[in-house]
Amino acid sequence: MISLKNIQKAYYDSDPPTIALNNISFEIRQGEFVAIIGPSGSGKSTLLHILSFMDRPTSGVYTFFGKKMHDLSDAELAYIRNKEMGFVFQSFNLLGHASVYDNVEIPLLYSDVNIKDRKKLIEDAVKAVGLADKINVEAGKLSGGQKQRVAIARALVNDPQVIFADEPTGNLDSQSGAQVIKILEDLHAAGHTIILVTHETYTAQFANRTITIKDGGVESDKEIVKNQHHKFFK
Amino acid sequence: MKLRDIFKTAVKGLFRSKTRTALTMLGIVIGIASVILLMSVGQSAQDLILNQVQGAGSNLIYIIPGANKSSKFSAPSSGLGIIIKTLNKNDLDTLKREASIDKAAPEVRGQARVVYNSNDISVTYDGTMPDFFAIRNFTLAKGYAFTQNDVDSFNHVAVLGFGTAKTLFSNFEPIGKTVRLKNITFTVIGVLDHKGVGAGGLDQDNMIILPVTVAQKQMLGIDYYNDIVAQANSAYDINFVESRVISVLRQNHGITDPNKDDFTVMTQADVVALLDSITTVLKLFLTAIASISLVVGGIGIMNIMLVSVVERTKEIGLRKAVGATNKDIIQQFLVEAALLTFVGGLVGILVGALFTIGLYLILVSFTTISWTLALPFSAIGLAAGVSIIIGLVFGIYPARKAAQKSPIEALRYE
Repeated sequence: MISLKNIQKAYYDSDPPTIALNNISFEIRQGEFVAIIGPSGSGKSTLLHILSFMDRPTSGVYTFFGKKMHDLSDAELAYIRNKEMGFVFQSFNLLGHASVYDNVEIPLLYSDVNIKDRKKLIEDAVKAVGLADKINVEAGKLSGGQKQRVAIARALVNDPQVIFADEPTGNLDSQSGAQVIKILEDLHAAGHTIILVTHETYTAQFANRTITIKDGGVESDKEIVKNQHHKFFK
Repeated sequence: MKLRDIFKTAVKGLFRSKTRTALTMLGIVIGIASVILLMSVGQSAQDLILNQVQGAGSNLIYIIPGANKSSKFSAPSSGLGIIIKTLNKNDLDTLKREASIDKAAPEVRGQARVVYNSNDISVTYDGTMPDFFAIRNFTLAKGYAFTQNDVDSFNHVAVLGFGTAKTLFSNFEPIGKTVRLKNITFTVIGVLDHKGVGAGGLDQDNMIILPVTVAQKQMLGIDYYNDIVAQANSAYDINFVESRVISVLRQNHGITDPNKDDFTVMTQADVVALLDSITTVLKLFLTAIASISLVVGGIGIMNIMLVSVVERTKEIGLRKAVGATNKDIIQQFLVEAALLTFVGGLVGILVGALFTIGLYLILVSFTTISWTLALPFSAIGLAAGVSIIIGLVFGIYPARKAAQKSPIEALRYE
């Protein structure tokens, strides 16, 4: 379903050009929980941007559910981001002055979901992250953990195939981080494909596969034995 | 993105910084209010001037010395302050003999101070003949107008304008009293009814009407007329009378080539058309001045929208990440700008209308000017349309800047 072949990303704003990704090739099957790990500057964020259609590779072929990225216009990429992808960011990226409801509604504004059906979708998404009682509260007044749960609700409100999580626990205490990971696990169990980018090895262990990026290339690609997981948060 | 969502998002965006939104709107409010006020004032002034010309009498024909070379609707040389001496008593007498002319009166004018006891004021004196009162619809509040005998006999009699009589005599009876004008003594024989400001801005209440012979020979020392105003016989078509007048004057002045006319003949309709063209230009000029404030307001909108785009960089990044296209972002910011200017425009129309009504009430209550309330719907429609266009024109640059942001860079923005 997700396939990368010889993906390269170079930035030509310096001489010599900066090669951020070099010959990246792997596949991710539907329903996988993949952690992309690597040290700072390794290229994992660049990889996430390409995987999530926010940036285009310099060369190589990226296929997402049968569609080749280089065949798609910016508007088509935006459409797929809206319908098939959900995003969870380290810094939440919520509109602090807007309510939880309004924040979760944002992806629906750009989709073709009927206005009448929106309310139920938003309420279901907010309920799924345990914030039903906060739905009319301003997002800026919530705790860090609650904010990230709102961000997850926003990511899943369109029922996307894939959820991209970029350092989702990076700004959270361990308890809030555990709650967020638990929600991601639940979403994975519900059939969503989760692609998690992190530099924290213990967070990565909740995935069932880790791809380690180093110096712009894939250093390792390993399956994880599941029963080792929850000891870090127990 | 659905239209409803675009507007909802734009309204929320504007309500986020209420004070800033209000202050930004103020520029448009002032601009639109100025346009409304000045367009209304221009329209009222135009109506006032044209009504005064039309109310000056009926079937009038103005004969002015000097030709208007460029077109019928440009001012003749004498109207530009050049002294031309081609109209005289012979012209008047010939015109009076024409069957198509009912009445004709010459005019000579000057400025002088009129003195009664210790009171003295500056007035315009108008030397003319008895027909003048009928031609110009000048009626008398007191006394009587002078006669042809007064004119022929060089009698020192005067008819005072309403305001002149009031200033000089206050509540005392002016009839029979003597006033002094350029050291010549005149007996007041009549006082005009209140007339107000006439066409051309002349205050018809602050004037003195004298026999033309006295004004011409004894006060001004001239033997020509400043103009002749004639009233056409209503049995004849006004254009026919006009051509007859031209023909008579050409014959009198020995002119065979129409390009060498040394006079200008204008009917009331010509004068209305001339003044209409002048006042329309004036109206456009006033609107153009007011429009400058709209441009300044528009630049203010652009400035604030640019600030808003920078402040909301992360929001733009987020919206693009979750599926907003460049078109969606452009629409959002354009609608915000257009909404800002449209609401500002509506408030501006209201404020402009209130000022227009206020000005009307002040002028009607405290002056003698016959001001009319003109609030042209065209001005209101234009203002509303222009305000939206300003929003779109000055909003497009910030909106494009917002749309061009890369989602990655925008999300990283701190």
